[in-house]
Amino acid sequence: MKSKKSFFRIVLIMLVAVLALVGCSSSNDSDQEKSSVDQVTIDIMQFKVEIKDQFEDLVKVYEEENPGVKINVKTIGGGNDYGSTLKAAISAGDEPAIFNVGGPSDVEEYREFLADLADTDAVEAALDGTLTAVQEDDKILGLPVNQEGYGLIYNKNVFEEAGINAEDIVSFEDLQTAVETLDKQKDELGLDAVFALPAKELWVLGDHISNMFIAPEFNNDIQEAYHAETIAFEKGDELKRYLDLQNKYSVQPILSLDYSQQVEQLFSLEKVAMIQQGNWVYNSVYDMDPEFAENGIGILPVPVEGFEGHVPAGVPMFWAVNGKKDDEIVQASKDFLDWLYTSETGKNAVLEDFKFIPAYKDYDVEKISDPLSKQIYEFAEAGKTFEGWVYQGTPTGWNQETLGVNIQKYLSGDMEWDEVISKSIEKWETERQ
Amino acid sequence: MRNRDISFWLFLAPVLLGLSLVILIPFLYGFVYSFTNWNGLTATEFLGFKNYITLFKDAEFRASIWFTTKFAIVSVVLLNFIGLGLALLVTRKMRSSNLMRTIFFMPNLIGGLILGFIWQFIFINVFGSLGDLLGIEALTGWLSTTATGFWGLVILTSWQMAGYIMIIYIAYLESIPKDLIEAAKIDGANSFQRFRNITFPLVAPAFTVSMFLTLSNSFQIYDQNLSLTNGGPYNSTQMVAMNIVKTAFTENKMAYAQSQAVIFFIIVALVAITQVYYNKKREVDL
Repeated sequence: MKSKKSFFRIVLIMLVAVLALVGCSSSNDSDQEKSSVDQVTIDIMQFKVEIKDQFEDLVKVYEEENPGVKINVKTIGGGNDYGSTLKAAISAGDEPAIFNVGGPSDVEEYREFLADLADTDAVEAALDGTLTAVQEDDKILGLPVNQEGYGLIYNKNVFEEAGINAEDIVSFEDLQTAVETLDKQKDELGLDAVFALPAKELWVLGDHISNMFIAPEFNNDIQEAYHAETIAFEKGDELKRYLDLQNKYSVQPILSLDYSQQVEQLFSLEKVAMIQQGNWVYNSVYDMDPEFAENGIGILPVPVEGFEGHVPAGVPMFWAVNGKKDDEIVQASKDFLDWLYTSETGKNAVLEDFKFIPAYKDYDVEKISDPLSKQIYEFAEAGKTFEGWVYQGTPTGWNQETLGVNIQKYLSGDMEWDEVISKSIEKWETERQ
Repeated sequence: MRNRDISFWLFLAPVLLGLSLVILIPFLYGFVYSFTNWNGLTATEFLGFKNYITLFKDAEFRASIWFTTKFAIVSVVLLNFIGLGLALLVTRKMRSSNLMRTIFFMPNLIGGLILGFIWQFIFINVFGSLGDLLGIEALTGWLSTTATGFWGLVILTSWQMAGYIMIIYIAYLESIPKDLIEAAKIDGANSFQRFRNITFPLVAPAFTVSMFLTLSNSFQIYDQNLSLTNGGPYNSTQMVAMNIVKTAFTENKMAYAQSQAVIFFIIVALVAITQVYYNKKREVDL
């Protein structure tokens, strides 16, 4: 009897507590509704931490021009954080109107939330090849945020002192000769080593380095990679040769060398002649040494047979509009994205404030302020890019957790190269079954 | 506990509510999801034990469990040894003992992530330059092999948690009646005999508490692991918690990660219960 009574009491009390909580939250809701009667509210969840302030400033400008629209921006740090926060928000029913997706596997996962953007002006303006990752039949499910490109970033002064002309480096043999020349003179040049290979970073090994040697067998097409049952590693030997070269002439021990050591401590302080990175390092180098960043660095393509002189460039993330929202919110979101990439104000902000390499036509290249981005945009204009980052189309996690990890084992001497290839192929096939 | 009137439950209600909302219900949900193909958004299929079967074939998961177990054994021993040592040191009548207590406890106030980065700097840069300077090969390249990564983690955790364990031992050491020690002294027991026959049995409850804390903590380490080695080189210093997070968010296999978490929960619970049971048996009452 007694225990029954007390059990009843617990239930009663919990009920009261729940009611109290519910009561609080519902009263808040009605307040909000009152204040936004004839306004459209767009919630944006975006991943680029680097442009947080600039993006918010731009949003204010848009709100002033369009009094009927209210935009809330939420910025969540890149990589895993963004993915998991977005997923949590969506499964909690608190989905944003505009968010970012990475490639075919994200599209697959969020498909039911993605509105078709084919009728927007931004799609018209998008550069060729930048939409492949989000294209399905005649639907376009995302808009490219920007372009990024990478290659071997080199120290112009060191190259000059060593008597090397960066433009002469075309084939792998040229690169090898240049590296040996630099290595012989490294004491006079004040270098610790020629390269800094950050083998601690799985994304450098598994995503970027590997991508260049994997992409050609899928014709540089993300969709093709996404639907491939297997991978052949046609350029596996070239990949090995390139890794060996970097490893042999790198600052050691490479397995504990990370991105910040590579870019800030070693490259910016001119302790190494070359690093394989992309245009995103510009700001870090600038923070360390503005003069060096503006005049002392250049980028040269990694020689891949058959693609000499091409720089891998691609779209890291796309804007997606949540199609489950009310029609007017969807429309307002599309209008905002159009404005962002096709209006004069938007274009200026994209170039000058965000410092993006635009993925759209009709931009004034002269306004791209940093030399790396400019060089990459020039490569893109000349049609000398590997379009599409094929690694976004590989099985989820395969690039880093399988290939990257295996390459780490190879570099530390715990795995033979043949095994790296065979184990990576095996994992790809099991994932795609 | 006899007079469970309305006010008793009234005071308990917020906690019960919070506990069930934040721990109990998510836990049950997670348990259910581990039998499906849940991807974080929807579950379309009931898979039965398929996730669990895959799990027992997963070499990487096994490796991370083995690594975590090794780590837990070493750090439980070291932490209790150092913790008790420090406690004995600062309970002697010394002028600086209060200051020393503060200093030993301090690392515990710094977050695991930051500590990881600080020690990463020490292991790589400080050790590296020292090694170059003194010509000691063994000091360079820390954290780039599995063995140094392991000891790096052990050193970091011991440094962080020893002060906390010390506090627990101090509390028990100070509650030992002075007259017992004095009586032993008069009987002619030397300081080792006094420690062995009086202090040690009387701090047994402290062993129960701190072994439980160190054990469960070492099993669950994530932030230090993330910032110090990030599982590298080649995921060989990846502990279970990190393996689960990676499976869930990098490989995007939410349900599979859930099943890993369930197995992990069972292992930790079994180990902790066994440990507390055996430790309790050893305790003596005055």
